[in-house]
Amino acid sequence: MALLYGLLWRFLLVLVHVNRALVSWIRVRLRSWKGRLWERAMTAMLLPLALAGFPDHQKKLNRNPGANANPVTENYAVSRRSRCLSDGRSLEKLPVHIGLLVAEEEPSYTDIANLVVWCMAVGISNVSVYDNHGILRKNDSRLLEEIVRKQQDFLGGDGSKYNVEFLSNGTDKHQHHVVSCRPTVKVLSPEDGKQRIVKVAQQLCRSVENKERSSRDISVTMLDMMLRESKNIPEPELVVKFGPVESTLGFLPWHIRLTEFISLPSHRNVSYEDLLGALQRYCDCQQRLGQ
Amino acid sequence: MSWIREGELNLIEKISANVLKAGPMPKHVAFIMDGNRRFARKKNMERQEGHMQGFNKLADTLRWCKQLNIQEVTVYAFSIENFKRSKDEVDGLMELAKQKFEKLLEERENLEKHGVCIRVLGDLDMLPLDLQQLIAKAVITTRAHNKCFLNVCFAYTSRYEITNAVREMAWGVEEGLIRASDVSEALLSECLYSNNSPNPDLLIRTSGEVRLSDFLLWQTSHSCLVFQSVLWPEYSFWNLCEAILQYQLNHKHIQKARDLHQEHQNLLQLESDRACTAEHLQHHGNGKPADAQRRQEELLHYTTCREERVQDFLEALKHKRDSYVNDLCSEGVSAQ
Repeated sequence: MALLYGLLWRFLLVLVHVNRALVSWIRVRLRSWKGRLWERAMTAMLLPLALAGFPDHQKKLNRNPGANANPVTENYAVSRRSRCLSDGRSLEKLPVHIGLLVAEEEPSYTDIANLVVWCMAVGISNVSVYDNHGILRKNDSRLLEEIVRKQQDFLGGDGSKYNVEFLSNGTDKHQHHVVSCRPTVKVLSPEDGKQRIVKVAQQLCRSVENKERSSRDISVTMLDMMLRESKNIPEPELVVKFGPVESTLGFLPWHIRLTEFISLPSHRNVSYEDLLGALQRYCDCQQRLGQ
Repeated sequence: MSWIREGELNLIEKISANVLKAGPMPKHVAFIMDGNRRFARKKNMERQEGHMQGFNKLADTLRWCKQLNIQEVTVYAFSIENFKRSKDEVDGLMELAKQKFEKLLEERENLEKHGVCIRVLGDLDMLPLDLQQLIAKAVITTRAHNKCFLNVCFAYTSRYEITNAVREMAWGVEEGLIRASDVSEALLSECLYSNNSPNPDLLIRTSGEVRLSDFLLWQTSHSCLVFQSVLWPEYSFWNLCEAILQYQLNHKHIQKARDLHQEHQNLLQLESDRACTAEHLQHHGNGKPADAQRRQEELLHYTTCREERVQDFLEALKHKRDSYVNDLCSEGVSAQ
């Protein structure tokens, strides 16, 4: 009997897997069909503009002879950018801080960079990227490089103008545009999670050991301040999780108290529409804060 | 309505349960029982009636869990944030809790028969005194039972729990039981309210919300999270099966992530022990560099001492917590 149940269980699991695969296959199909339609519409719209040639853009091109942008791709980039911005504006609310969680998937730097650039283009100013193996943290320079490249691709060689309107606090306006984006992209690893809390606990215990503080003084606000001050990140309002595992895998336990979790099947070959879909789902979430 | 509900699964449910049990089963499931008020609104009931129905569903769910061999269940009954609700509703919920804990004491024989141990996680000090005493009594009555465990989070938030754990460790330092360098992830876990339970394998939240709302943030960092759209009073056996199936699909990956995490933690502990030994040797080694064997011996010695310290501290902490509950209980008895 146990054998039969075991077999049935395996069969059930296979069934669920097949079901999942089917659903994601249909989704990809639908998307590529829609994507093609969109592309055609865009070229049809942009062709006359490209032929007329924007005098404005010609001037900029002359200023940056190194940029290998022709008017068509540049226009395309401009329209894509404004599309992202208007998408962002059309959403009822946007998170100020978004977490991108890669759960037990081999990270693909191109796709993650794409996601980061899209997030910033819609108007999200803090992006945190996390994986529980700490691979991204180890290779963060590679990821940042990739983000720079994607950003340039995305901006069609005209980065500086985009950057000024993108920067909200404007601290690094005069610098190269990637440097100014840098404070808003964070690469996180398990070290920033529980381990960080343990470090703070140790620090507090040490001050108690040195009789600088009593154990009774320790409060939630104090811990919160210490955990926040160190990283200076507002709590993420939204975490988009990619991959086959339904778990936070140690993502900033202290900070995800009110965070909404939205899952996408994989970050590999993820599209802008997928991200937008997640953001739209986030709009439907309502916080009651205990009330 | 009582805490324990007798009843059998029907044939189809039984078969399904057996099929599920052929796979890896969660040992500990946590629930955020969300949607009581929305349910009441939907059915045009009083809000309090919605909460009642929610409690009844808890009894059903406990029965299903038992039938599925899940020994431990943790539920989020009342958050510290919930004190912000209208006075009317808070009073109603406190009254409901009082009734239920009184009922629990009436049913003690039945609880004993099923071996149900009930624990309450949270800061009891925030509750009305009579409820505190009732809870203490209930906890003491069922303390020795060990077949299944129900943890009720009451006046609880995870941040508060973590802070409290840090406070307890700082207390240990003040008392001279441990040193600041003994503070580790494992020790912090041992100082949480949930120190007697393994971490939950599966966390279920109903009513379609997709956040943790300050519930077991520390303990669920490697748990399978399942968000279901059904309202809690409408939760069914099949919803539970669906969640368990989700867990089974995730089981391998999560296990892998847990092992990785454990390995990393052991490494960190070793590193910290090494650093402490090195410091010790520097202070007491008369400036001479220690050879490898001496260092190894010293490390072993340090580790044993640290483990002893931590053990003593945890015992003292347990004693402190037990006597707090005992005092509350005896106060309650003498007041009557």
